[in-house]
Amino acid sequence: MNQVIVHPERCVGCMQCMAACATAHSRSHTLLAAIREVPLPKPRIHVGSGRYAEGFPNRCRHCNPAPCMLACLPGAIYRHPETGTVLIDSDRCINCASCAMACPFGVIRYHEDSAAPPRKTVAVKCDNCLERQALGLVPACVEACKTGALTFEPAAQALKRRTDQVARSVSAGAEPAEGAPGFTLLNTIKNSLIALQEAAH
Amino acid sequence: MTCTYHRQTITEDGQLLLKKAENDQVETVWDRYRSQLPQCGYCELGLSCRNCVMGPCRVDPFGEGPQRGVCGADADIIVARNLCRMIAAGAASHSDHGRDLVEVLAGVAAGKAPGYTIRDVEKLRSVAVEYGIEISGKDTLVIAGELAYAMQEDYGTRTAALTLLKRAPAKRRELWKNVGITPRGIDRETSEMMHRTHMGVDNGWQSLLLQGLRNALSDGWGGSLIASEVSDILFGTPTPRPASVNVGVLKKDQVNIVVHGHNPVVSEMILLAATSSEMKQLAEAAGAKGVNLAGVCCTGNELLMRHGIPMAGNHLMTELILSTGAVDMMIVDYQCIMPSLGQVASCYHTRMISTSDKARFPGMEHREFHPENAEELAEQLVREAIENFGRRGRVYVPVEPVQSLGGFSVESIVAALGGSAAPLIEAIKSGKIRGAAGIVGCNNPKILHDHGHVTLARRLVENDILVVDTGCAAIATAKAGLKMPESIRFAGPGLKEVCGALGIPPVLHLGSCVDNVRILVLASALANALNVDLSDLPIAGAAPEWYSEKAVSIAAYFVASGVYTVLGPMPPIAGSMNVVKLLTEGLKDVVGAVFAVEPDPGAAAILIRRHVEDRRKALGLDFRV
Repeated sequence: MNQVIVHPERCVGCMQCMAACATAHSRSHTLLAAIREVPLPKPRIHVGSGRYAEGFPNRCRHCNPAPCMLACLPGAIYRHPETGTVLIDSDRCINCASCAMACPFGVIRYHEDSAAPPRKTVAVKCDNCLERQALGLVPACVEACKTGALTFEPAAQALKRRTDQVARSVSAGAEPAEGAPGFTLLNTIKNSLIALQEAAH
Repeated sequence: MTCTYHRQTITEDGQLLLKKAENDQVETVWDRYRSQLPQCGYCELGLSCRNCVMGPCRVDPFGEGPQRGVCGADADIIVARNLCRMIAAGAASHSDHGRDLVEVLAGVAAGKAPGYTIRDVEKLRSVAVEYGIEISGKDTLVIAGELAYAMQEDYGTRTAALTLLKRAPAKRRELWKNVGITPRGIDRETSEMMHRTHMGVDNGWQSLLLQGLRNALSDGWGGSLIASEVSDILFGTPTPRPASVNVGVLKKDQVNIVVHGHNPVVSEMILLAATSSEMKQLAEAAGAKGVNLAGVCCTGNELLMRHGIPMAGNHLMTELILSTGAVDMMIVDYQCIMPSLGQVASCYHTRMISTSDKARFPGMEHREFHPENAEELAEQLVREAIENFGRRGRVYVPVEPVQSLGGFSVESIVAALGGSAAPLIEAIKSGKIRGAAGIVGCNNPKILHDHGHVTLARRLVENDILVVDTGCAAIATAKAGLKMPESIRFAGPGLKEVCGALGIPPVLHLGSCVDNVRILVLASALANALNVDLSDLPIAGAAPEWYSEKAVSIAAYFVASGVYTVLGPMPPIAGSMNVVKLLTEGLKDVVGAVFAVEPDPGAAAILIRRHVEDRRKALGLDFRV
């Protein structure tokens, strides 16, 4: 089964996944119209800024067992049986924030949403774009990511790729691992900027 | 909240005012920078292109996603095009600033610019001669008119090479000709740069970058040089004079008017009005002890250089200066004026005035200056500033100002040397002075404020390298106390001896950012005296805290002129290692100089020292390893 896999070392921090996510969860499904909707659609994926100002795409892991589901008193949080996706029933949600307190990743937000009853603030988080998947599309964040920081594939396949990568790097006479020298150079400079700020004190 | 002010700026006034601004809930450039993180990696790498609407496009630096834009441009082309457009914007900014001065010069000649005059007739005549204008027996205003006309020709398309290129060493001009980067019209090169970066025009990343260099040269030896020279002609060639610096120059008991921006066309008129006895009387009637004019950024540098007008701070201080509550009026023209200033001022009584027909800002009142109305409008604004004095709330000016010596033009440096550059050449030859470095450029919230400038200057003078600086860098070292004759205590023994004998500081204030050309002109004089090219000299450039497109143009004309230049922040080029390699290695074989990037000012000083000693060795002078 395909799932969204995050490869943080490839995130360039462009936040295009956020815009694509918000658009995918809008009424209009187009960026230009979505930014004028009320309520304004909001992303379910959030790009954080790391210690070296590097990007990190933070989204729901759809944990199992899911702490948010265990914490939800009205039973609004449930698991989609076919995909294992953790979903929130916005009709049952009482906006108590228990799920956010329980979530180790801080990916649950509270706001009005076009899919929820009008003018009701509800808990909102990643739904793995089940609506898009039903149409044969990959989740919007994955489609938007051009660097491969987000992929949609079976976990086993991603892990196999990683295993092979590690194996190649320890082969005799191995070439340096593939990568992006420019991105590494930029990050080296950015890291030294931060290190300088810290060293100055 | 934990105190992080010392992580933002090394300056005492900055730290104290950051605290004040936070208490007053004033949002600053640092807050906005933090909320922008992480910044888009495609853009930081130069790999995003918005030049046409088949796009916008971006190239995946990891090689799996798209490797070409819709048009087919690869990473090399996209990065080169983006960088070149930055150069074009920077060159356009300096050159348009120069054009405004030439228009005032033409206005003075036509008698249509009341209040403006020719303050340096000698310079007018000598520059006119360089332009091939017959001056004998001609009235000053006639010469001014003819010079303005000739300079306007330099902006156009009718010349094969800019007039003032002749100040560059012959070897350098020959090199430019051979490489094919001799700048023609000032506007022509910018225009051609924009043309070449249009989809489907120049798709050779090397040829794009060469045009980028030519465009930058049209700034350095054209627009900026004209700006600097005409400013001297209209407002006087700077001579050394003391001035006080940092936010302590604001006076609790006087009407404080702060000028911000770049062009002395506005600030000189404000100065004229602010210093009249009538205004002093008005100020006294309003309960103030007088009118105190201070500058920030480059228009402040222009006034400091020519009149010793106090300097309140540099780029990252502009919001904080307003948070003193002591500024009765801030008058801005253009460039580097953060659009946030109107919002900051709204927390206090400060009146914000924009003056240029080409620059408007939210939260500012627009009072347009033109050569015809400048004198009258300046007086009116000073009156209004005085009226505003009574509306002040609580005032917080937490520090005492630092003293600084400014006003070093090429002419005044030569005068300080006793009439010729020979003593400087002698000091370099003997090794007492190892070489010279120009520290230029801005502030950038990515770099601890002023730390880059001050640390680099300190490390260089310690090692007997004379520092000349301009722009926000010059303000940083002035605030740090490096610009008084007694600042030679920071210098190494050789530099200390030479500067001590001449009574000059080891760090010389050469003016605003268009005045970077003074560095080139001075270096050319040295190269000519030694009969070598600029790239043979033991000199270097650095922009430790740069942020702006203008800085890209400056760095590019330094390198194209043969000056090794070290940048602090990384320009958006790392998406193409071909471009990186060309700029940091390959250009050596093309123009005899390269760029380097080194955010650590201590390490940048080592790079510069190595370069200086390396050049000394090549010149057959003593060298240190």
